[in-house]
Formats: sequence, C-alpha cells, structure tokens
Amino acid sequence: MSVRLRQLGALICLSVLELYRRKDLFVVFVLAAVILLPLAFFAPFGVTGAGRYVNELALLLVWLFSIVIGLGTSARLFPPEFESRTIYPMLAKPVARGTVLLGKYSGALAASLLALAVFYLAYGLLTGFRQGVWFPPVLWQAFALHTGFLVIVTALGLLGSLLLTASANVTLCGLLIVGMLSFGQRLAALAATQTVPGKWVLYVIHWVGPHLEFFDLRQRLVHEWPPIGWGVCAAVLAYAACYAAACLALSGLIFKKKRF
Amino acid sequence: MRQSLHVGLTVAGAALAVTLGQCVPSVCAGKMPQAVGEDVLAMILGDARLVFSDAMMGKAEEYFHGGVRDVVCEHGLGTPHEEPDRHAAGEHGLEHAGAAAGTDFWGWLNGQIHVQEDRHIEGEDVRELLPWLWAACRSAPQSIRAYETTAFVLAHMTKRPADAVRLLEEGIVKNPDNASLEISLGELLLQSFHDLPRAERAFEAACRKCRAADGPEGAPDRVLKVKALFYLGYLAKQRGDLARARECLSQAEQLAPDDAGTRDLKRMLQEK
Repeated sequence: MSVRLRQLGALICLSVLELYRRKDLFVVFVLAAVILLPLAFFAPFGVTGAGRYVNELALLLVWLFSIVIGLGTSARLFPPEFESRTIYPMLAKPVARGTVLLGKYSGALAASLLALAVFYLAYGLLTGFRQGVWFPPVLWQAFALHTGFLVIVTALGLLGSLLLTASANVTLCGLLIVGMLSFGQRLAALAATQTVPGKWVLYVIHWVGPHLEFFDLRQRLVHEWPPIGWGVCAAVLAYAACYAAACLALSGLIFKKKRF
Repeated sequence: MRQSLHVGLTVAGAALAVTLGQCVPSVCAGKMPQAVGEDVLAMILGDARLVFSDAMMGKAEEYFHGGVRDVVCEHGLGTPHEEPDRHAAGEHGLEHAGAAAGTDFWGWLNGQIHVQEDRHIEGEDVRELLPWLWAACRSAPQSIRAYETTAFVLAHMTKRPADAVRLLEEGIVKNPDNASLEISLGELLLQSFHDLPRAERAFEAACRKCRAADGPEGAPDRVLKVKALFYLGYLAKQRGDLARARECLSQAEQLAPDDAGTRDLKRMLQEK
C-alpha cells in the first residue's frame, strides 16, 4: 500500500514539475496582466468606478487559461509515452496499470488545481483591492465548482489521451467543453424544437453529455448575486465526482485491454 | 566585415522604408487605394463592426438586467423606466424559476445555479453599463442605436447630460445625413438644458435631413419629420410665433395626418 502511495506521489510530483518546467503559468499571468492592466485604468466617458467588466474579463481569462492548462496537461498524458515507448519501462518497474492511470490523472488534476488556486487567489486580491470585498462566500463557491469542472475536464482529457493523438484529443475535448458551456443550458429546449432523429441526438447529449455549465458561477460573481445553496453546490460536486469516476472506469477498461 | 555590411544594409533599408512611408502618401495624394477618412479598424473589419457593436449593446442590455441574458422584459435599456421596485423584487424571476422547476432535473439544477431573476441595475451601478456602451459607439460609429442608447443612459441614468450632448454631436459629425440623432440632440437640449435656440436649430437640421419619400420606404423619415415638426411647432408657440406653429402643423398634416405627433400639435395649438 505504501509503495503504491509512493508511486502515486511520484507521478503527481512529475506532473506538477512538468507544469512548472513548461512555464505555462508564467505565460498566462503575463498575458492576463497585459490585457487587464490597461482596462483597469479605463474610464469610459470620463466616468470612473465601473469594475464589473474587468471582473468579467478576468474571470473569462481564468476560465480560458484553466481549460488550456487542464486540457493541455491531461491530453498529453499518454500519447508521448506511447510514441516514445517509455510506457514499457514504466509498466515494467513494476507499476500496476491502475496505479499509472490514477497517478497520471491525479498528477494532471493536481497541476491544474494548483494553477486554478493561483488564478483565484490573484482574482480575489484584484477584486479585494479594487472593491474592498475580500473573498466573499460566492467566490469560494465559484472556486469549489471550478475545481469540479477541472475534475471532469482532466478525466475527459485522460480518456481521450488513451484513444486519440494529443492534438485530436485537445480539439475534440475543446469543442465539447465550449459547446456544453455555450449550449448546455438550452439543450433540452433545443431538442424539443427539433424533428427526429436530431431531437433524440440532442436528448442523448443532454442526458449523457457533461453538463459543464453547472460549474460556471461567473454570472453570480460578477453581478453580485447571492451564493447558491450549499446543498446545490454539493450536488454539483457529487455530479463531477460521479462523471469523473465513470470516465476513469472507462479509461481503466481501455488501458487494461490496450496492446502497445 | 561581412557583419558590418549586413548591419549597414539593414539600417539603410529601414531608413528607406521610413522615408518612402512618409513621402508616398503626400506625393500620391488622392491616388492611394485606401478610402479617405477610414481608420485601420474600419478597413479591417468593414461592416462586421456593426455586428460587434450590436454584441456590445447586447452585453450592456445583459448588465442592465443584472447579468441575465435573453430576458423578456418590457423595459429595455434606453427606454423610460418608471417602476424599478417591481423589478427589483424579482417579479419576472418567479416566472422564470417556475418555468425551470417544471422541466427535468438538469434544468432544475441549472435554474438553481444560474440566476433567472430580472433585476434592473440602478443608482451608482448604472456606470457599469458605460464600458460596453463606449465600446458599442467606438466600434461602429455608424450605429445610430448605439449613440442614442448611450446618450439616454448618460443623460437620464447617470445624470451627465453634457456628456450625452457631446456624444450626440460626435455622432452627428460621423453620420451627417442622419435626422434621428439631430432629434435626440434637440430633445436632450430641450429637456435637460432648456436651451431653446440650440434645440430649435437641431430640429430644423433634422427637418432638412429627412427625405420623406412617398410610399412605405419613406415612412420612417415621415415619422421623424413629423416629430421634428411637432417640436418646432411647440417651440414656435412658446415664443408666441403662432404663424410659424401653424405652418409646422400644416406640413405635418400633409406628411402624416393620422400620426400622434400631428394630432398632439393640433391639440396644442387649439389650447390657449
């Protein structure tokens, strides 16, 4: 058991180090500063004090960068190992296939969550200094749900990395994420207006697809609406855990039967 | 030796490029392919700017409704808003929440997470609309709706009528043939500044710019011209020039006898 935990820990450390080595965090921070700093001092028609647009753009960047980092890390988990055949020595260590899978997933998730925590800390400080509101409950909820979002995205990325090349995986998962974030709320209504078979396709996506829009609390955060009920928050996080578990189980099945 | 030659050639090339960049537009004035007066954004984006401007207006509308998109509400941005409390209490929200609760579980969950209520922005918070409205005006100077809505928000919601006048004047400079902006300017000068001479000049300019052609295609211009004539008649009556007021009424009756503006002007002149 302790050996397995050590192996898992090593795999997680590797992913976090890889994120640090690739300097992704540094690049996104510079990019965010270049975009947000001039906007923070902008006074349209000479009127100062408007801040929601900066908050909205900052949160949009947080979401965009978290998707880039989460998907970029998880989509590259296995294809390079298969191509360079480094998967053989890893499995010959010996490390069980399940441990490799879980370790890789936990590593990608840990790296993504670490980046997310840094983003939210920066956002919390930015809004605190500008508006004098320090880390309200809705911000904690937004962070908690965003972690749930990354739990699903990294699980999807991992599943795709066993079936597709890294670029194909990123493209397909990216389309799925953007599609669900944009249309997830309206899928049932859209399906109701379609004819068969489009109607059933949309209903299947509605029931089986990952409802990533559940995790998006930007509207509440930007427009200062009250937090959601903690029961709803827990239900959404449970949904994330179940969906990720299903993806991991499927990945385990595929990885077990995979011939290299 | 070779390196210094490369450096020298690079510097000479750069100097030549800068010199030509400065000389060519003045030497070939009028023969350049670029349209005069168009900025880089206009040349790159073309009419897509209007789409962008509409998107910015949509964003401002969303902010006006407390971040709720596609809301069905009789009070849009830029329209008089007399009953804020009824909306602040979330009357529409109950309708939306009820609709969400009647659907499937995912729909219910979405209804709990994403705000469905309609809460109109008020007081100091109105300034949150300005960045989007600013972007709407700057991205497409030909968008009359953007200028008029922004001027309304500046004048009536943020209580900055002087800025609204400046914006409308800028819109008129950029859209010299548009009568609607002149009427908006005249109304603003009349209501917020009681500057009757300037308002009258604006309404006269609007009258000149209206090309009220016969048939359905001339209907919008006829409505605008009747509106301008109503205000001109009203101003003439204010200063006791009844002959001019009657002339305005007769022009309005010729254009659109059943228009509300014509009827109001007629009623006003019948009153003592």
